[in-house]
Amino acid sequence: MNAITGIAAEDLPAPAGAPILSVSGLRVSYGRIEAVRGVDLAVGAGEFVGIIGSNGAGKTSLLRAVTGVLKPAGGSVTFDGADTTGSGSHVMVARGLAMVPEGRMVFADQSVRDNLLLGAFTRIKADPQGVAADIDRMTRMFPRLGERIDQQAGTLSGGEQQMLAIARGLLSRPKLLVIDELSLGLAPKILDMLFPVLTQLNREGLSILLVEQMASYALAVTHRTYVMENGRVLFDGESKALAGDDRVLDAYLGRRGKH
Amino acid sequence: MEAVTQYLLTGLSVGSVYAMVGLGFYVMWTAAKAVNFNFGDIFMLGAVLTVVAIDQGIPLLPAAVLAVAAAAIAAAAIERGFVRPFNREANAIGWMLTTIAVGTMIESATTALFGSNPRGLPSPLAETPIRLGGAGIYPQELLLPVALIIVAVGLELFYRRTMLGRAMRAVAWNRTAAGLVGIDADRITLIAFGIAGVLGALAGLLIGPVVQASSTMGAVIGLKGFMVAIIAGIANARGVVIAGVLYGVAEKFIEGYLSTAARDAIGFTLMVLLLLLFPQGLFGRKEIKKV
Repeated sequence: MNAITGIAAEDLPAPAGAPILSVSGLRVSYGRIEAVRGVDLAVGAGEFVGIIGSNGAGKTSLLRAVTGVLKPAGGSVTFDGADTTGSGSHVMVARGLAMVPEGRMVFADQSVRDNLLLGAFTRIKADPQGVAADIDRMTRMFPRLGERIDQQAGTLSGGEQQMLAIARGLLSRPKLLVIDELSLGLAPKILDMLFPVLTQLNREGLSILLVEQMASYALAVTHRTYVMENGRVLFDGESKALAGDDRVLDAYLGRRGKH
Repeated sequence: MEAVTQYLLTGLSVGSVYAMVGLGFYVMWTAAKAVNFNFGDIFMLGAVLTVVAIDQGIPLLPAAVLAVAAAAIAAAAIERGFVRPFNREANAIGWMLTTIAVGTMIESATTALFGSNPRGLPSPLAETPIRLGGAGIYPQELLLPVALIIVAVGLELFYRRTMLGRAMRAVAWNRTAAGLVGIDADRITLIAFGIAGVLGALAGLLIGPVVQASSTMGAVIGLKGFMVAIIAGIANARGVVIAGVLYGVAEKFIEGYLSTAARDAIGFTLMVLLLLLFPQGLFGRKEIKKV
């Protein structure tokens, strides 16, 4: 039994099996502006995948279409073997996809405990004991949350709110955890504590899709990385290999000339 | 002295009605950032449908329960048909028009079916007034503050202690984040309008025996309930309760010392002045301004 996600090892599909998430030809537009222009992407079961790219590359829009926050203008999303294109986010959570949104979006006017209970909204009726046990696990994983369990979430520091957002996401017992801009506004000291937690969760079998503007962090922790620019995937590859690739730097600095 | 007691007691009673209607606006607003502007019609349905059910030979209590349930369903149906489709975009205002339109339809239909004359709502608590500190008052009127306390405490417990209540607060805080933990925000909003419907209909049927049931009984009271919610700062439930009760008491004093005619003129003027002085409402928090 996985200590944190509560997933038993035998429940996990083989890492080399069918992808847990596959996205094909995905397009997102806001009125006449196209933010995502035909993206193909896959996350294998048990894989830790990163998406990097400069501000405005379309990373967040891509995630929002995958997690059902907005409807894509075209293309398809397949999650856990089912076509989920255009499904609402509450449906996706019930299917096993949880998202830690950009800016964390904790329920600031409710207690840390209530935020965690809300994270388990889709399963608390069926499994109240399991939820209570998972909340205990979260407070062991993030002791700071345990200390502040009855405090209003809005009074937490940025780092603590990010811990809460991750824990809240895990409480739905997802098959895939999608994280948007983990590092946003956080001190390096906090990041040095949060990234190893993600690595640990992944080792225990959780598939993770991480969007991150700080490429160095993303490349250090993920197996594979997609590099996005102007709403398209420029290229992807093993994160280790990409860490020394000049093309990554070029994508960030806009040195490809044509744009 | 007796007059003062009289004004206080009847004011407390009518103020409880404003507070309950105001709480209905609070519940709708927190979930949807929109309201049913003709919420007074749900209040009216609470009383009128009770009379209709009694006409069918149903005893008072089951008739009241049926009326509240039917009014709550109507309130939820208004959300589904006349608020949701017109509240899709941020800062949408179509729901203002559509809820007024459907409210006018409900009022006209009720006049056509129920008749234009007010009808009594028989209640054993509204037959003989009792004397209390020199004032005369129907026990029915004393029922209203009691109901208000039960409703307000119940609402507080619901929001803090139940999963549905937490989900409703989550939707109020951030609809996107609520969706991302698996909450169907549309469904929660529908339920919120139903709960608001229960509050409004309950207020209507409880005051019905004192003021009589009619198709137009909700118009001004709905407006006043909305007003006290705005004056309080619509996102503050306790503030709405206090503002509602105070407004009811103030009205009775104006009525008593000046005249019934002066009541609404002075009352509404007072509200406008208060809103000038406290644009966020008396108990409202300053909203974070986006630059």
